[in-house]
Amino acid sequence: MRFLEDIIVKFGSVDRRVIFVLIGLAVLVPLLNPIDLAIRPTPSSQRVYDAVDSIPDNSKVLISFDYGPSTKPEIHPMTLGVMRHILSQDRGHKIYITCLWPDGLYMAKDALKIINEEYDLVEYEDYVLLGFRPGNEAVVKGLASDLRKVFTVDAAQKSINEIPMMEGVNNLNDFQFIFTGSAGYPGTFEWVQYGADPTGVPLSSGTTSIQVNEVMPYVQSGQLQGILAGMPGAAEYEKLIDTPGIAIQGMAAQSYGHVVIVLFIILGNLAYFITERRERKY
Amino acid sequence: MIWKRYIPIAIVGFFGSLTLFGWFIENEGIKSFIDDDATQWYDIIASFAIFLGALNLLKLQFLKVLKRKAGWEYSVVAILSFLIVFVIGFFMRGAFVVDIPNTDIQSTYFTQGAAEEAVNHLKDSGIIASITPAQWGAHIQTEGGLFKWMFDNIFTPLSATMFALLAFYVASASYRAFRARNFEATLLLLAGIIIMIGRVPIGSLISSWMIMYLLVLVIGILINTYFRSRQLVFGWVALGLIGVTVLGSSMGWPIDQPAVFYLPALQEWIYTVPNLAGARAIMIGIGLGVVVTSLRYIFGLEKSYIGNQ
Repeated sequence: MRFLEDIIVKFGSVDRRVIFVLIGLAVLVPLLNPIDLAIRPTPSSQRVYDAVDSIPDNSKVLISFDYGPSTKPEIHPMTLGVMRHILSQDRGHKIYITCLWPDGLYMAKDALKIINEEYDLVEYEDYVLLGFRPGNEAVVKGLASDLRKVFTVDAAQKSINEIPMMEGVNNLNDFQFIFTGSAGYPGTFEWVQYGADPTGVPLSSGTTSIQVNEVMPYVQSGQLQGILAGMPGAAEYEKLIDTPGIAIQGMAAQSYGHVVIVLFIILGNLAYFITERRERKY
Repeated sequence: MIWKRYIPIAIVGFFGSLTLFGWFIENEGIKSFIDDDATQWYDIIASFAIFLGALNLLKLQFLKVLKRKAGWEYSVVAILSFLIVFVIGFFMRGAFVVDIPNTDIQSTYFTQGAAEEAVNHLKDSGIIASITPAQWGAHIQTEGGLFKWMFDNIFTPLSATMFALLAFYVASASYRAFRARNFEATLLLLAGIIIMIGRVPIGSLISSWMIMYLLVLVIGILINTYFRSRQLVFGWVALGLIGVTVLGSSMGWPIDQPAVFYLPALQEWIYTVPNLAGARAIMIGIGLGVVVTSLRYIFGLEKSYIGNQ
């Protein structure tokens, strides 16, 4: 028993480099050898799916890319999933893209490149990339009031008045659905407070795991039509639309990463209790 | 005094009141000001703030280099990176599209010289191609352009790497700091473990019956710690194990029943009940704080923005 306790105490003071190596392996191995794990959609992800599914035919959908490369692995699969869902139904939806983050523009370009390979979209007929404007919540408020004052040209510097699919689009009231892929400020909060609430346009969001706690009250109050929570949310959405992608692949890595962290926490606590008891004894 | 104190306070008070009361006054002029003009002003000021931020960043980094403060070498890298991106973004197009008419074939080059060279090569092969420089403004996002190349190949991997490092630090920090020292810490620890395992697919593979067996054993340890009675521990563990086994057999061992012991269901409950209650309390607190701070600004009680403490 004493021998076992000694081993646990030894593990309890393991060098952090060992933890780094084990975490690295726990993440790398499942990424290199993908493992199929069962994914069960949570009610909040299901709600996003249902909200997108219930958009009326020939709707205008606004998607906002409010994240950058640092959170791309978590949020990009969500926006891609939602775009795929919108387009896969072939119900004549048109996509309008805005960005509250400067690097969101590049995320949008990347997403469009991927989606274009799958759906062969035509710019200015199926989608328009309006681009980035500085001003955070003021941009959202401006869009709710008069979109044409915020965006006079699109990301390619083409006048909004020359884009056919912008005809009749003057503010957020002209959209039937809004989705924001959000990694922080400005993002989901600003869209709820200045965009969706004043106009009544249904809004869903995909956020990083760390943001979910803060955003959840909006989901329960119905101000937000569900939420895709971190990479598990993205994987659940991929499962719901039956299009396995990078998020489902990443879930095995995240699963094993979490298990290793939990094992270390348990080990650390066991070592702590043994040491405490020994100190009390002597 | 008047210019530095009273006029700024009066401006803030006036526009603050206008924006606040505009929500409650049915007047087209005021409504238009709040919805359109004020937000446009904000956008313009925000654009200027980007320049101010950049200048401030440069100032701080230059001072660090000049005073040879600890880590000044990194400041040199920061300044150089800033200048390179600034010059490329503002003064170099970095995107010249070589296009072969009547085909979908096109290629983008960083410099006009490289694009001309490519056109000449094509000309030698009997193909006529044209060069279209990317439009200013659109040049930073042109596929194959220099700015986009830098974003894709330098900024994106660096950014992703920084964020990915978080996993390693979270693992190391939670291993060292997550200790069940008291009741509150134990509660946090348990909730953390349930969320961490319950959120990922591997959590849905753990049967609620396994959790129940574990619970029986953990309670057995607690009984042993507090009562030091072998009979009591043996009685509890034996009864517990038999009880769980009988219940499981009668129910057919469904993996997610009873739901109260199923980790994904448990983590969903933690998210939507206790966590939500806390989040709401914080939100309401922040909301009240925002109201109070805004009123302090409007009434001229808060003067930190003009340099007063």
